[in-house]
Parts: sequence; C-alpha cells; structure tokens
Amino acid sequence: MRRFGRLLLALLRELADQNAYQRHLTMHGRKHSAAEWRHFCEQRLRAKYARPKCC
Amino acid sequence: MKLFGRLAWAVVAILAAFCLGGIALRRGEPINSIWLVVAAACTYAIGFRFYAKFIAARVMVLNDKRATPAERLRDGLDFEPTNKWIVFGHHFAAIAGPGPLVGPVLAAQFGYLPGTLWIIIGAVLGGAVQDFVILFASVRRDGKSLGQMAREEIGKIGGFIALLTVLLIMIILLAVVALVVVNALKGSPWGTFTIAATMPIALFMGIYLRYWRPGRVLECSTIGFALVIASIFGGRSVAASATWGPVFSLGALGLAIAVVLYGFAASVLPVWLFLAPRDYLSTFVKLGVVVALAVGILFVRPELQLPAFTRFVDGTGPIFAGKVFPFCFITIACGAVSGFHALISSGTTPKMIAKESHVFPVGYGSMLMESFVAIMAMIAACVLQPGVYFAVNSPAGVVGTTPAVAVATISGWGFPVSVSDMSHLASSVGEQTLFYRTGGAPSLALGMAAIFARGGGGEAVLGFWYHFAIMFEALFILTIIAAGTRVGRFMLHDLVAQASTRAHKPAGMTGVVVATIVIVAAWGYFLIQGVRDPLGGINSLWPLFGISNQLLASVALCVATTILLKMHGPKYLWITCVPLAWLVTVTFTASWQKIFSSDPYLGFLAQADKLAAGPQNATTAALIFNAQLDAVVCGVLALLVAIILLDSLRVWYGLLRGTRDARVTESPFVVSQLQAEEI
Repeated sequence: MRRFGRLLLALLRELADQNAYQRHLTMHGRKHSAAEWRHFCEQRLRAKYARPKCC
Repeated sequence: MKLFGRLAWAVVAILAAFCLGGIALRRGEPINSIWLVVAAACTYAIGFRFYAKFIAARVMVLNDKRATPAERLRDGLDFEPTNKWIVFGHHFAAIAGPGPLVGPVLAAQFGYLPGTLWIIIGAVLGGAVQDFVILFASVRRDGKSLGQMAREEIGKIGGFIALLTVLLIMIILLAVVALVVVNALKGSPWGTFTIAATMPIALFMGIYLRYWRPGRVLECSTIGFALVIASIFGGRSVAASATWGPVFSLGALGLAIAVVLYGFAASVLPVWLFLAPRDYLSTFVKLGVVVALAVGILFVRPELQLPAFTRFVDGTGPIFAGKVFPFCFITIACGAVSGFHALISSGTTPKMIAKESHVFPVGYGSMLMESFVAIMAMIAACVLQPGVYFAVNSPAGVVGTTPAVAVATISGWGFPVSVSDMSHLASSVGEQTLFYRTGGAPSLALGMAAIFARGGGGEAVLGFWYHFAIMFEALFILTIIAAGTRVGRFMLHDLVAQASTRAHKPAGMTGVVVATIVIVAAWGYFLIQGVRDPLGGINSLWPLFGISNQLLASVALCVATTILLKMHGPKYLWITCVPLAWLVTVTFTASWQKIFSSDPYLGFLAQADKLAAGPQNATTAALIFNAQLDAVVCGVLALLVAIILLDSLRVWYGLLRGTRDARVTESPFVVSQLQAEEI
C-alpha cells in the first residue's frame, strides 16, 4: 500500500513537472529559486505546448 | 506456464466468452452494467497476456540489454529513464481526452451492443496494437515523431501528407469539441458561470506558481481544485439570481463567439500564465474523475436501460445519420482505434521509456485503459431511460422544435418520455431545459450524476454532480482548444516552411498573431457552422472528426506495416494489415456515403441539392456552402490518405520483390548501463 502511495505521488509529481524540475536542478547543479523555476518553465512549457494534445 | 496458471487463464477466457455472449444474446430485459465491465476486463487481460506478449516477444523482440533513447540521449528534461508505471500513467493521461467519453455516448443511439463490441475488440486487435507498434518504432528511432518516421520509411510525400492530415484533423477536432461545450452550456447559467470562473482561477494559479510559490504545482493545483468546487456551489446561487442569472445565460451563438475569443486569447497569452496551470488542473481532475467513475460503476452496478440494438441501426438515427456499418466504427474512434494516439506514442512517451520491455505495458496497456474509459462512458449513457437519452441528444430539426412535439416524436419511436419527466429531470439538475442538448456531454453528465448520486446523497446531490461532470468535460475540452490552437499555429508555420524555399525562421509576434487568427478562424468557422446547423452540427462534424481520426490511424498503420515488413518480411504483416484493412474499408465507405449518399440527412451533396431546391435566402445559401465545404473536406482527407496508402503499397511491393532497400532504420545497438535502482 505504501509502495502504491509512493508511486501515485511520483506520478502526480511527474504530471506536475515537479520531477522534471528536480532533474533539471540536479543535472545543472543548481538550487531552487524563483528565477530558476521560471527559467525551467520557459524551456519545459515551450516544448510541451508545441506538441498536439490528444482527443 | 504452470498448470495453475493455465487453469487461471482458461477461467478468464471462459468468463470473457460467457460475459460477451451474455451481453450479445440477452434481449428484452435490462442488463446489469457489470456484465460489460467483466467482459471488457477479461478480454483485455487475454489480449494483454497472450496477443501483446506474442507481439513483444516474436515480432518486436524487445531487448532490455539495448539502451533506449531515454538512457542514451538523457538530458534531464524530455529524455529521462522513468519508472514504467509513471510512464504508463503519463501516457494514459496524454491519450485520454474527450473522444472516448463523447464517442460512445453518441454511438449508443444504435443500442449498447455494437459500440461495446467495437470498443473491446477494436482496442485489443487494432488501437492497442497501433499504439504499441508506433511506440516501439519510435523508441528504436531515438524518439522520432510519426511524421519523421513516415518520411523515412515511406517517403517525402508520406511525411508531408502526415503533417497536413494532422493539421486538418486538429481543425475539425477543435471545432467539434468546441461545439460539444457550446451545446452543454447554452442556456445554462450554472454551467457557464462555473466554466467562466475557471478562467480567473487559472490566471491566479499562473501568478501563484510564477511569483508566490514557484514550482509548487501540486499545492497550487489543490488550491485551484478547491476554488473550482467552490465555483460549482456558487453557480447554483448565480443561476438563481435575478441579476446574474441572465448575464450567464448565453445562447449557442454567443457561447460560440466566446469560445472563439477564448481560443485566440488562451493561445497567445504566455503559457505559464494561463494554459499550463489550467492543463495541470484539468489533468488531475480528469484522472480523478475516471477513477471515481470506475469505483462508482463497480459500487452501484447500474442496469442499462437502452436496449442491445435500437431501430436506428438502419441509419435513421436522430443524433447522426448513417447505418451501424460504417458509422458506429467512426463515431467511436478514441476508445477503440485512434490515430491521434500515434502522435503521443511518437512524442513524449518514447523519450521516457527506460527499458524496451516497458513498451509492452505502456503502449498496449494504456490503450486498454482508455478503452475501459470508453466502456464506462457507454454505461453512463445507457443507464439513462432511452426516451430521456434521445430527448437530450436529438436536435430540434429532427424531433420537433417544441418539447411537446419532441416527446411525441421520441415516444412514437417506442421510447416513451413526457414533458413532465424532462422538466422534473431538468429542475433536479438545476437546468431550465435538457431538450436539444446535442453533443453527448450533457447526457454523459446526466449518467455520471445518476451513478454518483446513487452512491450517496440521492436526488439532493444530482445537480452538484451534473455540474461537476459538465465542469470536468468543459475544463479539459477548453484546455485542448487552447493547446490545439497553439499547436496548429506551429504546424502552419512548419507547413509554410516546408513549402517555401526560404530559410526556416521562428515566427515573430506578427507571425504568431496572424497564424493564430488563421487557425482560430478555421475551426471557428466550422464551430459557427455547427451552431447554425438545423440538424445540430454534431450530425456533420462528429463523423468528419471520426473519419479524419481513423484516417490518421491508417497513416500510422501504414508506417507500422512498412516497419514490420522491413523487419520480418511478410510473416507478421497480418498484425497491422488486418486493422489497416478494416479501417480503410470503414473510413472510405463512410467518406463515400457522407459525400455522395442520396439521403439528404446523410450525404453532404444531397443535403446541398435539397436546400438548393427550396426557397432561397442568405441562411440557405450559407447552409448550401457549408454542406459543399464539408463534402470537400471529407474528400480531401480521403484523397490524402489514398495517396499515402498507394505510396505505401508501392514501397511494400518493392520490399516484397526485393527491388527496394529493406534495411531497418533503427538507431545503433548500444548496451544499456542503466541500473535497476535508477528506475
């Protein structure tokens, strides 16, 4: 049950782009800040909304 | 397989056959929805365990020692090896849109049986196979898109046509889903207020995420969800207010114009401000509602009131014209076979696959899950009394322009309903009327509300659940409109760049605005056409959407067939050729009938001729032009796919004769270094 809960939370964080943000911070060796989040968002959302959404 | 395992699977197979037989052969009395649930679940289990596993092992030869693009091209953003269940959820959230919810509701006009069988069998043998093979192909090709693979495997014409087809489908899709929202909200101040309230809520979320609590998406979405629920409660008071009620009580044309303006604004505003927060919220609400509906159906186990077959299998249905073949199979696209999924299977998902074996549950399994959503939508529609179902979904142009005439017409078909029944139902969900609500969303909301209300609260909570369901549908449809308009703009830019010899440059602000206006004008035109159509618009637009979506599936299956042919020769061609042959037959028959049928209710050209023979005025002239335009769009779509099909046949002929290079264009084999704990 606990494993399922962890998996569910991980899925929600993935859908919320929070996991991608953590990976971005780790990969570039940076710390969380408002400016960093905005920088990440620019890249992430530009790519995300250039792809079609399904019907 | 051990003896116990074999016995267990034999029991599942017998149960599937027993339940399918039960729903197919039972007549004359209501059937419990649990039969559909068990038949679907057992058939999916058999398909997943045996058919998909066969494809994975023998055809694809999935190899976990081979590094996937997520590992080789890891960049921490798009390319990232991810846990397979997270990718499964991510992929499912991406493919599940309004299609599997609305299509089955509309196809229920034939009765529950044709649609249910198509959803189950179509998904197991067609839709899931398409998604699976395209995902596999993309994973083996560095996460390339369907268009890129079409260009490489079939030729330049295929690539260009794939892009053009997708753009046309986007335009039809955006128009038809916008029409669904318009028809759900017209004359409904409660619903309109709730949806209007989601706009400032999304803006608030955008600012919250950007400036107040950057990065706290889950926290922000929870607050957004609470505000949306509050707006549903507030909507009841707004609708009852003598001042505010009329402000939010808009007609169909007014709502259509509002949706067009919304589509323009939402797609040119910065994505962080509006589109992204709305998208997060709608994704979570969508997943939550799907789970809640599944639990509700299992808990309540409602009986289906619609019969297995209705008289409308002969093509005289009031919701859309056409016989059960081919129109049941294009009305339900998403949920059985959807070409759009090929874009997702060759988009984000292949870049997240950590091991090749994960392609199996993600590609095949997610489609089965979506198919189950379609089954739930079919159940929600069929729990309504047939008379109510037809009164809600039939246009005034077919059943009569007053409630008294409409109920007389519908009762005359053998589905008794009265004006007082409809008035009572409307008042119990907080609406003034539920007649002529074409598009499927209101009847789906009624069915969902009935299931949720029976789970607890009864009639007292029917209004809340009805408007919750309307909010849920409209929220993610409007998100699709905003995102789709934006993507359409990029596609238009790509097409212009491909057609022109000048260097490809990013569009400036003027280019953005002009391209957005072109896309919004294109789908807005079809939307207004649907609103003005005396037959309700859905009769013309939904079949066009279904045809275009299935034609895209044909393109995807052409690419998949070419890849299988290069890998194994003709040995496993049947895997993709059987669904391809079926789709080509269905879509070309439907296209032909929609263009050339002599029945003016079905054929666009016959409809134009009938209108031309009557009294002429500006409205008639517009309707004639619209019918002719629909015929041209339908013809162009069929022609584009005929070209790609012929091009594919040429390639396949060359491959089979050995006159064409049969080398597989996969990326080179690299041994995976990924450790289990990394995923």
